[in-house]
Amino acid sequence: MAFYTLGLTFELVILLTVIVLGMWVYGIYFNVKKWGIGSTGYHDQLRYSFWLFIATWLHEAFKDGVLVFLRTAVLDVLLLRRTLARSPIRWGMHMAIFYGFLTLAALSGLGLMIDIVEHFNILGLAEPAEMAKEALGLPFDVFGYLLLIGATIAVGRRVLLKFVRDNTTAYDAFLIGGVFLITITGFYAEWMRGNAFLVGNALTYSIYAPHFALIHTLLALGLFCFALPWSKYIHVIATPLTLLANRGGE
Amino acid sequence: MADNNANVSSDRSKKPLMTGYMMSTQLLEIDGCNRCQECMKWCPTFAVRPDRPEITPMYKNAKWRQLQSRQHGLRAKIFGEKPLNDDEMKAFTEDCYACTTCGVCGTVCEAGIRTVELWEAMRPNLVKRGDGPVGKQSFFPKLIKGDRNPYMAKQEERLCWVPKDAKVNDSGDIMYFAGCTAAYRQQALGVATVRILNNLNVEFGMLGKDEWCCASALVRTGQREVMAEHAVHNIDALKDAGAKTVLFACAGCLRNAAVDWPMWYEGYIPYETMPLSAFLRDKIKNGEVEYKIPLNYRVTYHDPCHNGRHLMHLKGKDWAFEAPRECVQSIPGVKFQDMVRNRALQRCCGAGGGVKAGIPDLALDCAKARVNDAAEIQAEVISSTCPFCRLNLIDGRNAAESSIKMVDIVEMMAASMGLDTKIPENPYTKFQSQDVLVCTPTECKLDTVERKAPGKDLVGEAH
Repeated sequence: MAFYTLGLTFELVILLTVIVLGMWVYGIYFNVKKWGIGSTGYHDQLRYSFWLFIATWLHEAFKDGVLVFLRTAVLDVLLLRRTLARSPIRWGMHMAIFYGFLTLAALSGLGLMIDIVEHFNILGLAEPAEMAKEALGLPFDVFGYLLLIGATIAVGRRVLLKFVRDNTTAYDAFLIGGVFLITITGFYAEWMRGNAFLVGNALTYSIYAPHFALIHTLLALGLFCFALPWSKYIHVIATPLTLLANRGGE
Repeated sequence: MADNNANVSSDRSKKPLMTGYMMSTQLLEIDGCNRCQECMKWCPTFAVRPDRPEITPMYKNAKWRQLQSRQHGLRAKIFGEKPLNDDEMKAFTEDCYACTTCGVCGTVCEAGIRTVELWEAMRPNLVKRGDGPVGKQSFFPKLIKGDRNPYMAKQEERLCWVPKDAKVNDSGDIMYFAGCTAAYRQQALGVATVRILNNLNVEFGMLGKDEWCCASALVRTGQREVMAEHAVHNIDALKDAGAKTVLFACAGCLRNAAVDWPMWYEGYIPYETMPLSAFLRDKIKNGEVEYKIPLNYRVTYHDPCHNGRHLMHLKGKDWAFEAPRECVQSIPGVKFQDMVRNRALQRCCGAGGGVKAGIPDLALDCAKARVNDAAEIQAEVISSTCPFCRLNLIDGRNAAESSIKMVDIVEMMAASMGLDTKIPENPYTKFQSQDVLVCTPTECKLDTVERKAPGKDLVGEAH
């Protein structure tokens, strides 16, 4: 376990994960309640409730029926049709980040589950768990590179295009910088550890690999989970919800 | 007096940011903006005010989020709310109203934000807090409530322009809702409509004094109070008249009748709203329209936002974009060409959203930009289906010193059909100001009628 260094134990990592996820859940609740400050209809009364938002969103999202909801979910949320209509480059970037990020997050969750199985030797599955973890290496690499490509285009676009750069604020920079930082530290940790996928072993430095892996993990947990509800990261949740509520938009 | 102003200002700064007019899904939209900047590329007001990015949708969303978080953000929950700064609110209000609510930002928005509805929900919150509206927009409620039209005209004279030999009923399956501008300021449009419908043997009625202003200006500028009265009154009047189809030659009235009125009405609405262009296009297809005089001009078509983007999802793109084009193209002699920006991505004329009344110089610059779009393709005539686009484009044309004329497609059709479009003398003749087609039995020529009454209307723009 690469990041169990500097006094960090398995139990501490689990505790940290639970705290971060708790913060994340609270953050989402906080935002939903904030959205609930609005009304339920065109000239309805002001309310302030978590459930008001949920009810209003459900009403809006299913206004035109389940089929429209599903069509919007596939074409607009999963395939980002509206982005493709406007800019194929931005679409490629967004798709790479979207699927890279989501898949890596899912793989990380899966990895944690496998870690737990391995650590406590649940049902005597420690050995198969170890093998399963190794099998996750390739998808981690593939989706990691996908995310790296997307994040690089995002940073490049903001840096190289004057109009885009001029209208980039700290709000944007925090998101894109965060994604790029998480991605690149993850890669660097892997390269240091000796993962030779695409780069060979030029960057192998196994003594400090655990430390770097720890930095990556803390950044990922901190930025993704702590910052998500309070920064532009929230659009990861709010944009799909908006698309669904508006049945794909104008 | 100065102390009073200071007190008012101080009291207002204690007021929280109002959110009650926004649906909770609209507050979600604010966070859903992924700041792709696409809206900035298309925004017609930003195009003529490139030094003011804060008037663009992306920045307005960001500012609203920032203002809201002062009262509802995490820091506000932990350390207490921060009062709103008066200067900041004033600047935000100006930014918020420097928008024609044309909706192109919503059309291109990657996040699918319904921007027109969003801006129109933000504004009443600003009005309620005492920040909005801006400029002459504040006259709208009093004018419209007092006179039931924005021109301080008499309701009894709504039909004063109808030619004596025209046949107009009080009721019927088909009703024509003329709107205040055709009734009082662009009567040539009303006359042309009545003449065409008579020529096509269409039995139709008009509400006369019972036709109240559609109150679009109130919705667009966030002053919703009087709106309810007008919506309910007009719907009831049309129902009482037995309407099954209501025709509109005014894009602003059509949008309001189709989208906004029903939101204020609790009963069943038995009629369908229909753009006159779609109705006439069907008649053309059926071979009922007979043209006599060719109009030998290079013509383009300006899609009014209210008849196009605002309605395309409700009425379909065919009615919104193709029907008026087919009407124009059916006229003999017309050489038709679209401007580069057309249909759903058209550039707004700049008059909508109360901008013409509230920030006239911005409306004028937008109009000049649109006239330039037409000049690029060497158009001689810009046709449209919106009296307000026409009014603003005429102002823009004059400011740009261009020779392009603005004519409604209904007037073009009436002229080409050889119909008598002479407006009977009436109390509002002196207020007429528009480009017209003056025809002999063999030829039509473009001309401009100048307003003869001194001064300008208090509120020159009501949509």
